Amino acid sequence: MKIGIRELLRQPGRFASVGGALTLLVVLLVVLGGFLDGLELNQTGPYRAHDGRLLVFSEESEDLIQRSRVSEADQAGLAAAEGVAAVGALNLIESTASAGDGEILDIILFGYDLPTDVIPAPPSEGAVIDKALADRNGVAVGDQLLIGADAAAVSVEAVVKDLSQGSPTVWISTENWRAIVGSGNPAALPPEGIHQALVIEPASGVAAEDLAAQLNATAAVSVVTSTEAVDALPVVQQQSSTFQGIIGVTFVVTLLVVALFFALITLERVGLYAVLKALGAGTKDLMAGISAQAVLVSVIALLLGFGLSLIFANLIPDELPVRIEPPRLIQTAIGVIVTSLMGSLFSLRRVLRIDPAEAIG
Amino acid sequence: MYVALKEIRRSLGRFVLLSLAVALLVLLLLFFQAVAGTLTSGLTGGLESSSAEVLVYDVRARRNPANSLIPPTAEAAVGAVTDVAAVSPIGLSVFTGTTDGAEIDVQLVGGDPTGPSVPADLADGRLPAAPGEALFSGSSFDDPIEIGQSVTVEGVTIEVVGTADDAAFNVLPTLYVPFEDFVAASQNRAGVPIEVAPSLLGVRVADGADPAAVAAALTESVDGIEALQRAEAVDALPGVSQITQSFNILYLLLYIVVTIVTGVFFLILTVQKQDALVLLRAVGASSGDIVGSVLIQVLIVVGAGAVIGTAVTAGLLSLTRDVFGAGLNPTTTVISVAAIVILGLLASIGAVRRVLAIDPVEATTSGGT
Repeated sequence: MKIGIRELLRQPGRFASVGGALTLLVVLLVVLGGFLDGLELNQTGPYRAHDGRLLVFSEESEDLIQRSRVSEADQAGLAAAEGVAAVGALNLIESTASAGDGEILDIILFGYDLPTDVIPAPPSEGAVIDKALADRNGVAVGDQLLIGADAAAVSVEAVVKDLSQGSPTVWISTENWRAIVGSGNPAALPPEGIHQALVIEPASGVAAEDLAAQLNATAAVSVVTSTEAVDALPVVQQQSSTFQGIIGVTFVVTLLVVALFFALITLERVGLYAVLKALGAGTKDLMAGISAQAVLVSVIALLLGFGLSLIFANLIPDELPVRIEPPRLIQTAIGVIVTSLMGSLFSLRRVLRIDPAEAIG
Repeated sequence: MYVALKEIRRSLGRFVLLSLAVALLVLLLLFFQAVAGTLTSGLTGGLESSSAEVLVYDVRARRNPANSLIPPTAEAAVGAVTDVAAVSPIGLSVFTGTTDGAEIDVQLVGGDPTGPSVPADLADGRLPAAPGEALFSGSSFDDPIEIGQSVTVEGVTIEVVGTADDAAFNVLPTLYVPFEDFVAASQNRAGVPIEVAPSLLGVRVADGADPAAVAAALTESVDGIEALQRAEAVDALPGVSQITQSFNILYLLLYIVVTIVTGVFFLILTVQKQDALVLLRAVGASSGDIVGSVLIQVLIVVGAGAVIGTAVTAGLLSLTRDVFGAGLNPTTTVISVAAIVILGLLASIGAVRRVLAIDPVEATTSGGT
């Protein structure tokens, strides 16, 4: 193994080609992972903001809020159940928002009753807004936002990070939401006493998963955790499976590239390996050296690739959903190192066939 | 050519590995293109295929049909503008319907089936002629609704009487229905007889009139609206430019990776056989012969990779049509494969330069064999 590492350190130029190709593949993997995470996180902010709470949808809705309709009778029934601290309404509609002379932006307008660990209690007149909206529209706490076709004015009372659902979100009280939707787009307003979804706050010491199981056994609605609600989103399922498949294929390309380059390098050094074998080195020693080289090259490629990816991600326009997350980088690093190791083992057959007698002609 | 083929035959393994790597990169590229194409056409098809040449939005909707609600007086005002031949309301909303006992999300498009609210061309059947009838256009992600099949939306039963290709909205199964059916479904969902405003107005311009000029005149002369030519309205749809830009970034990365992998492979190969090439030059082979040999190998390896990649992509897409709803577009495929082959040839410049730098006299020194 020592010889392999020494060779790499003394002749880094020999490995520059495979290192360069691997670096680009790392950039591709990081950007693909960035799109996957960006698309998923940008679609699911409101659900993740309800972590530790339960979401309630109508039974036939497949846990999709746009399809769901739950009644205040359901709400009352759930509020009376054991382990439930509070039940509130949750409704949404696509709308627009602008501030002063600012650009009109697409938003998702939420009406809600209960605060979460992330979203403060609903202001009676004002709004809690997504930081993405604040950044794009230059809005700050105290500013006025004009919502919807009627340009209903609400004042910004808090700005919260990571609340986007495709578009930035704006959060107002249920009462205010019904007033704004009823005036601007009455066709989209659920009938009185009906909500799209409910949020349950479990009582202190009650696990959300256990409470969901207990409520699902008795109630005629679907009670799910925020993670289950995210998993139910078709857009998340489709994006996730598509991008994971693509990332898998990119790892196979990485495997082939590493295998190809180490096969070429091994071929070039058949004579040298024969000498080493004649001097007593075993196939295991030679393979350990090749594998060490592959791992070292991939580690260097990872460092360069991560650096380039961060630069590249900063050049991508803000509106594109690319988010480089540490867990994805760790996953990529492990994947690339394992793949490189496997790729280097493709040379095993060639090394096994080397006869020490070749060293003496 | 003979030497090039002979070398590939003798060292088949390494050339096959490179071809497979290129094939997988081509697969990724074509797969991205197919999915992006389907997503984009699912979003834009409804407007792109519309018989309306100009589309009128609520001025505050930021050119987003989902946010647009046309003021009640606008339809008459638009109809009165010079060179407007016909106007139709277009109501857009997503509903949950049931068909054959199964729930599906459907996009309802309510309008005047005889006016500019429906697709310009039919694929099969006829346009709706009465309440309770619909024209269907599918997103390729979903199962089609056949002519004669019924869908119930908020208590309104609608029978499909015709179909149109590539005219879906929101990547959803889309039903074009008379405006009164759209109003009935919206009111039933609301639970009260609310006023249902159209989301857009479709405008057909008079013969010989310029749609751009009509759109500009409408925006200027009617309060509270913004009129766009159809192509402008398509470009402004939310999500379309995001999808296009995101996939363009991935295409760019894939083209760079193909170029680098191919270039580096042939450069290493050339360096490894430098002595043999020197000898070939010394015994009379010209630079052109050797460069030709390298280029033939690039063409064979990259070409084979492209063909394998295309075939596998076509197979995979046909097997997963219900998941991705995508197929290969022949024009895009031919252009992409040609680009990959050209990039492969360009990538071999490093190897070609090495070949051109070979001096046959080296064969007489210790550098030659």
